[in-house]
Amino acid sequence: MTTRKTLGLATAASILALSGAWANEINIAREMDANNYDPHKTTALAAAEILFMLGDTLVSIEPDMQTLSPALATSWEVSADGLTYTFKLRDDVKFCDGRPMTAEDVVYSFNRWLDPATASPVKWRAGEVESITAPDATTVVYKLKAPFSELLYQLTQSFATVIDRNQVEALGQDFGIQGMNGTGPYCWESWNPRDRLTMTKHAGYAWGPAFYENKGEAQIDRLVWQVVPEENTRTIALMTDQTQITQYIPYIALEQMKVAPNLNVVQSDSAFWTYFIGFKIDHPSVADPAVRRAINMAIDQDALARDQFFGGVQGARSYISFETKDWDPSVEAELPKYDPAAANALLDEAGWVAGPDGIRVKDGVRLAPIGYFFTGSTWQKLSEYTQAELRKIGVDLQVEIFDATVAWGKMATQEFDAFGMSYPYVSAGDALNLYFPSTNIPTPNRMNWKDPETDQWLSEGKAALDDATRAGAYSKVLHKVHDANVWLPLIHEPRTIVSSKRLAPIVPHSNYGAALYKGLDLKLVE
Amino acid sequence: MSVTDTIAPAADEAPARRHWLAALMRDPAAALAITVFLLIALAAILAPWLAPHDPAESTRNMMLPPAWAERGSAEFPLGTDGQGRDILSRLLHGTRLTLLIGLVAVVLGGGIGSLLGLLAAFYSRLDPWIMRTADVMLSFPAILLGLALVAVMGAGVTPVILALAVATIPDSARIARSVAVGVMKQEFVEAGRALGLPDRMLFTRYLLRNCISSIMIFMSLRFGQVILLGSALSFLGLGARPPASELGMMASQGRDFMLFAPHIAIIPSLAIFVIVLTANVAGDALRDVLDPRMRS
Repeated sequence: MTTRKTLGLATAASILALSGAWANEINIAREMDANNYDPHKTTALAAAEILFMLGDTLVSIEPDMQTLSPALATSWEVSADGLTYTFKLRDDVKFCDGRPMTAEDVVYSFNRWLDPATASPVKWRAGEVESITAPDATTVVYKLKAPFSELLYQLTQSFATVIDRNQVEALGQDFGIQGMNGTGPYCWESWNPRDRLTMTKHAGYAWGPAFYENKGEAQIDRLVWQVVPEENTRTIALMTDQTQITQYIPYIALEQMKVAPNLNVVQSDSAFWTYFIGFKIDHPSVADPAVRRAINMAIDQDALARDQFFGGVQGARSYISFETKDWDPSVEAELPKYDPAAANALLDEAGWVAGPDGIRVKDGVRLAPIGYFFTGSTWQKLSEYTQAELRKIGVDLQVEIFDATVAWGKMATQEFDAFGMSYPYVSAGDALNLYFPSTNIPTPNRMNWKDPETDQWLSEGKAALDDATRAGAYSKVLHKVHDANVWLPLIHEPRTIVSSKRLAPIVPHSNYGAALYKGLDLKLVE
Repeated sequence: MSVTDTIAPAADEAPARRHWLAALMRDPAAALAITVFLLIALAAILAPWLAPHDPAESTRNMMLPPAWAERGSAEFPLGTDGQGRDILSRLLHGTRLTLLIGLVAVVLGGGIGSLLGLLAAFYSRLDPWIMRTADVMLSFPAILLGLALVAVMGAGVTPVILALAVATIPDSARIARSVAVGVMKQEFVEAGRALGLPDRMLFTRYLLRNCISSIMIFMSLRFGQVILLGSALSFLGLGARPPASELGMMASQGRDFMLFAPHIAIIPSLAIFVIVLTANVAGDALRDVLDPRMRS
């Protein structure tokens, strides 16, 4: 071959490589990065997205967010007293470094999760554990001190990912930062914080959840998770094929995306992620149940969903979506309905009199609750919409905005009256046990909701040995907290995936908001 | 910019003033800039009476384009923003707040900085202390300072004004000192000293009056920069709290709609542009006519 020919070929090859045309590689755009990728040390959605792909859990959950599905465990048995869970594991599972995974690895992972030295913020999700043991290489016995009806659902979360002891010990504090050797369909390649995380296909992977059509290894060789914080940039990156898939699309662009010839838009039917404003029920002004009820009657959540989110989300009147496991449909009839006139009348009746500026006052207390919110366009829309609507009933919501770096600390104090928050959940029990036990004051129970009955019912729900008892106990809590209007629910956010037509359309999963979940159905159609 | 002029102390300034005003208006660019700036300032002052709507009131007409565009409505001459609020009303109120932030910050920071600069020149013992402190402050970016202040005080107009004022102090201290050092070397100061005039009188009558025009020129030039910096801080979400409007904040909120309703971001950005441009041109023109070395 002549030098000129070689040069020509090399040039052509590099042009092809640059355009990515022949590489079986896709770029995934997302809004933000995680603080780390150690399953026990982060609660970020951005971490869950990655961990579901890098690792596996014993149990998996189907996209309906109700049905459990075998994953690393092929089967499990629960003892009659609800205290002992016995998992039978697959025997063909390997870590990315080639080492076979055994029950010992599962035991090590769970014990690290529970170890006080790990200081995991999500330790409560594992229940009150007596012991976790491995009688043989494919059996794990999970013994509880008290029954925990949520356990199997909690074990589907990324916090229950099986990790590699050798790597944890080798990397120490850098585990989840310099690497995370898991058993998942993809393997860690590199991470450049706040820029990109790259993963490659796990060759030989054959233990994905049963509900995936693809029973074998991943169909994409390499995934690049690119952080693109600015939403217009993400939109343009998708339209110009610089990125092939994202779940972080501005709702204003959805209609354009739907008609774009090169894009697919798929939305999940149900939402398991809710935005709400919570009230500190022992602070003046919002301590009055009439005020909280009036606030709930002053917001038209459907109009909010339509006008601010262009119909891409659902207006929320309940604290969890109606499709959530253990939601009680009888609560729906009792929820306050949008009626600003009735809200005004309710406040008049409660003795809140409008002052010269239109803001209501009672016994020297001005109805001007201080609200703490996160920066960012979603909370900007939600807080300003709520603020404008509440002014119409004489409530002057003070919107104070904090960057995420300080917001969490600020929201752990008692210095505000209301706070904006959003959260994912798998079930009613998951949501209620996070926010409403009195032991979770001051955070995440920022409402200071201290109610012995609630605590009692939550314990009953957790300890329930059958579905009906559990649902019954949680139903009582749902009735009580909705009746007290402890929150102002705003929107339920379904997962929406916008992807290039070069990829097969993907049905979004809702587990912890990680729409791509294990990514086994990602594939190029060309 | 280095301004080290000296004017003889305490002369009758009335004819001179008339002379520089006339000189200012003879330059068409300056005259235009000053007129536009004054009109904007007037509109801002009269905002509560001029604004057709309540700037915080949201209607259900989200993202209406300006009246002259298709789908526009005469009720909202510049259209509405993402919350359905009238952009013209928000612009008027926003300009008011933006100008106020700039003015307070420049007067506060420029005042303190100039005083420190003059003191440094007047009392040479203080000079190294004041100027080295100013050097340290100069190395600290205003945006970072703003972020730090907001982290402590929470978002709001006050921390932004403080950050801008603090950012203005070192520059104005340097300018004031450089002018004052020149004045201090003049014979009339020596003469004043020899006559046994008290420090207070030397400082105000001899030093301050000879430096004040340079300081004013610096402040007018600095005003544009401060507005820009203040808008940048507001753009980052550190400034005014909703539902108040501020130009930088309006531009930031419009950013989300850039692809679909660009006027929401473009209108306040243009307003910032015009304010900063006219303030700078006016400041330049003012320097040209006031700086004796540039008078020829």
